Amino acid sequence: MVDGYTPRSLSEALSLLSSHGLTPYAGGTDLMTKGYRHEGYLFLHRIPELRHITETRSELRFGACCTFTEILESKTAPAILKEAVSRIASPSIRNLGTIGGNIANGSDKADSAFIFFVTDSSVRIASCRGERTVPIKDLYLGRNKLALERDELIVEVIMPKRWLGNYRYEKIGARKSLAISLVLFAGLMSIEDGKIAHCATSYGVDSGVIVRRSDIDEIMIGLTVEEARAAKDSYIKAYDGAISPGRGRVSAEYSKVVCMNLLADFLSSMGI
Amino acid sequence: MLIRFTLNGEDTVYEGSASDRLLDVLRNKYRLCGVKCGCGEGECGACCVILDGRLANSCLAAMGRVEGLDVVTIEGYRTTERFKVLDRAFASVAAVQCGYCTPGIVLASECLLAVNPHPTREEIRLGISGNLCRCTGYNAIVRAIEIAAWEGDGLW
Repeated sequence: MVDGYTPRSLSEALSLLSSHGLTPYAGGTDLMTKGYRHEGYLFLHRIPELRHITETRSELRFGACCTFTEILESKTAPAILKEAVSRIASPSIRNLGTIGGNIANGSDKADSAFIFFVTDSSVRIASCRGERTVPIKDLYLGRNKLALERDELIVEVIMPKRWLGNYRYEKIGARKSLAISLVLFAGLMSIEDGKIAHCATSYGVDSGVIVRRSDIDEIMIGLTVEEARAAKDSYIKAYDGAISPGRGRVSAEYSKVVCMNLLADFLSSMGI
Repeated sequence: MLIRFTLNGEDTVYEGSASDRLLDVLRNKYRLCGVKCGCGEGECGACCVILDGRLANSCLAAMGRVEGLDVVTIEGYRTTERFKVLDRAFASVAAVQCGYCTPGIVLASECLLAVNPHPTREEIRLGISGNLCRCTGYNAIVRAIEIAAWEGDGLW
């Protein structure tokens, strides 16, 4: 009985995926905990086209099957991504788990996908029918629901490099290691010539999809620090209306208070 | 599906389902019972093996995932000089009580020392942070790894 495939190239993988109803298997760390099933897996660990970490002048590219450990050991991966990845599970799980799997899982608190949200990264997706590149935000439809066809495979994540320098990342978990995230916060802010040139925040709570509202962050862009201080209340109020967590491992009220505190603290740390 | 991999240095072909758990196959088919099932979901580290040189939870690996890779269990590792150093160090400070977590922790120690032969206490705690021990309280284990790093100087 053929119940699994281990293709050696991306084209072989895509053709198997289109002709058989297979489940892509990257690191397996989530799939294996979702019950023991005899189903057709498409094992992706032997495909070199999914394992790269490269950079150009303006962007970083991470192959979907890069493990969290490979991100941590990379000279190219930015600190914000490394910090988030270093807090995932434990060394042995970081050796198996991949960023592509983390994205495909569709969790609203996926630690690495969370960083791809705040950095406005895109995801390149391939199938036998062709390729498309979409902002990661557009890939998420709801909890565990992605805009991904059965014959499509996540190939790589493309992260713009420009605004990665000045960041804040906070993970609230119940313990130091092997901690499932309860609340996630990330913020990026760049001040150029006395004005806020870039402001991006993301929130990971039980809200179905990671919260990334660039329309709200735009309130701060172009302001001086002094002007931003004056706009701070309305900015925080806008997020107060935009973040509406449900009950998960912690209460909705707790998640909300933590998000708002982390946002206020982020702004204070930037002098706002 | 025929799954080819190396098991404790020997070329091995597994004729079974690609979705079988590595943990079950090691214990039931190859009788390598040093690999323990604690939680079955990657939380405890009792099932750890070394997969292509890196620590991995065998409860989280389907057989298809080890195709073409190198698997080392405690049974394979115990033939090495490095094991002997860890074995002596663990015994010298009573870092083993019930022993259920010990194979996983010894392999975690190996994977730590292989990349960092003289880890700080904090780095040791990080290295074994995916391996739970409900008996010792960890202090003796951390001490044992410190001793092994010192006594085994040059081996790693």
